[in-house]
Amino acid sequence: MAQISSTEQPHMKQIDLSTLSIQQLSTLKQQLDQELDVFKDSLTSLKGAQQKFQNSHETLESFNDEIEGKDILVPLSGSIYVPGKLVDTSSVIIDIGTKYYVEKDLPAAKDYFQRKTKFVSEQMEKIQYLGLEKSKIRDAIIEIIQIKLNQQPQA
Amino acid sequence: MTEDLQRKFQNELTNFKSNQKELHKTIQARKLLDSQLNENTVVKEELNLLPPDGKVYKSVGPVLIKTELVEAKQNVNKRIDYINKELKKVDELIASLEKKMDGHTESLQKLQHQLQQAQVKAALHA
Repeated sequence: MAQISSTEQPHMKQIDLSTLSIQQLSTLKQQLDQELDVFKDSLTSLKGAQQKFQNSHETLESFNDEIEGKDILVPLSGSIYVPGKLVDTSSVIIDIGTKYYVEKDLPAAKDYFQRKTKFVSEQMEKIQYLGLEKSKIRDAIIEIIQIKLNQQPQA
Repeated sequence: MTEDLQRKFQNELTNFKSNQKELHKTIQARKLLDSQLNENTVVKEELNLLPPDGKVYKSVGPVLIKTELVEAKQNVNKRIDYINKELKKVDELIASLEKKMDGHTESLQKLQHQLQQAQVKAALHA
């Protein structure tokens, strides 16, 4: 797949932007716009995932010895609840994806959510960095398009 | 003469468009496989972190069924293998479709050129 980057890489060809035609530049800009859109979408969904993990982690923080035996309302659907009692609060079952669930004790569960939050945050940083780089290139392209437009003989 | 060329051009354009659609669909399929591979790799890592006596459940519809950790690991590994195979297939398909697209673009350009020349000729004769 074609890649656009401002840093030189062995498998990529370096192109002097000012040698391209306006047509080529605008195609390039379009491609970058599309990529930036993808980044924006990814960031939004990552942010959602990050929030979910953080929420779960916070919920676990409120688990302590006193909570065992307490009354709770168990949601059966979005709007139906039945009363219940908390038993065995020493471990929880976590959805790890692809329909698999694992049982973990509290410290391990907290560790799980911490790890996940960290992982997602790292991915977000990576995407933010890439996005910054791409928008820099995009700005440069726009600048050159402007210069080229000004150089064109006035009709 | 011009009509003949025009028809050829239209034909080629239809081919080009259907090819483009197919390529788009294949890329979408690749994206899906990619995300499935990612999810399965994450699950695999998580299963590897569990102690040998760790409890694993699989959700089947509305119930959780207890599964052996070894079995779960095998299952995930099998799925990863399968997805990798599918990815390879899809990648090959994408490569061949891209090649076809290049061929279509080339012949379209040629036809367009011929068409323009024919039109110029027709204008001169008129």
